[in-house]
Amino acid sequence: MTTHEHVLVVDDDPDICNLVGRLLEKNGFRVSKVPDGKGLLALLEKSKPDLIILDLMLPDEDGLVLCRNLRSRSNMPVIILSARGEDMDRIIGLEMGADDYLGKPFHPRELLARVKSVLRRSRTAAPEGAPETDDDATYRFAGWVLDVPTRQLYSPKGKKIFLSGGEFALLRVFLNHPNRVLSRDQLLDLSHGREIEPFDRTIDMQVSRLRRRLGDDPKKPSLIKTVRSSGYVLAVRVERGGNIDGTDDSGPGD
Amino acid sequence: MASMPEKITVRIDEDLAEIAPGYLDNRKKDVELLPQILAKGDFQTLRIMGHRMKGSGAGYGFDGISDIGRAIEEAAKQENREGVRQGIEALSSYLDRLDVIYG
Repeated sequence: MTTHEHVLVVDDDPDICNLVGRLLEKNGFRVSKVPDGKGLLALLEKSKPDLIILDLMLPDEDGLVLCRNLRSRSNMPVIILSARGEDMDRIIGLEMGADDYLGKPFHPRELLARVKSVLRRSRTAAPEGAPETDDDATYRFAGWVLDVPTRQLYSPKGKKIFLSGGEFALLRVFLNHPNRVLSRDQLLDLSHGREIEPFDRTIDMQVSRLRRRLGDDPKKPSLIKTVRSSGYVLAVRVERGGNIDGTDDSGPGD
Repeated sequence: MASMPEKITVRIDEDLAEIAPGYLDNRKKDVELLPQILAKGDFQTLRIMGHRMKGSGAGYGFDGISDIGRAIEEAAKQENREGVRQGIEALSSYLDRLDVIYG
């Protein structure tokens, strides 16, 4: 079996690195190993792994802090693998943004199953058809800014606007397809994944919520327009890239 | 006549056949190294070594090494010399009696 997906193992115990590396390589993964937080950051400068397996007790830095920092800058999946097996460690690890937590000692096949499961979830969470580099993108539209890595939406006056996972996924789809009519089925397909809460059954409800977040008048929307019998269109020019200053007043106020 | 020590038979996944012997060699080195570290009273290093054994042993299929590692880690946390010494003895005995079957 060959997957070529790249997994980074961060652990200072060479016996663990050997074991996990062997297991994953036998199952078609490409594996890199680093012993500490410094090595992790150095590797991330030149490479973008598909998943990180992170020990908590590293010689130079607390794995939980590393996990939080990783999560603040990307959606890269993280599995914590630690012998610090207290319930509180698991809870804090997951709260810091880890996608999964497995205590040591572990059964290798359980780790393999969790790696596959997290990667599967990660793949379905990314909007289908979106460019891969979208993970690092910053979008600007009508004075608004959406920073994909941090999932932050800034109003034209620089105010942070909270988006649910479903709203974020939907807005990301619109920004990837500006000025293009998207049917309800397309919107569902493109935004489908773990971001969609189970109770968000209709795209219409989500579009309605997203309009409210964007301050768009539902009776006469100017950003997300309804196209009768067809679907919706984001009717605005979208720019991608650039730094966030959150103070661009060129668009409408909030 | 003293009775022969009982063998500990462990069946290991064939996938690990190439790396398990190296893992056991490292534990044999630990049996040599741990008493020296205990003699220096370096309980922090003893705790880390026990912690690592606890975390890795069962992953390779050697549950006994995880148990012994846990005991060494706990004894080292309490700076319990006798507890660490017993852990080292247990590790040495486990490795001597181990009979590994691959596949």
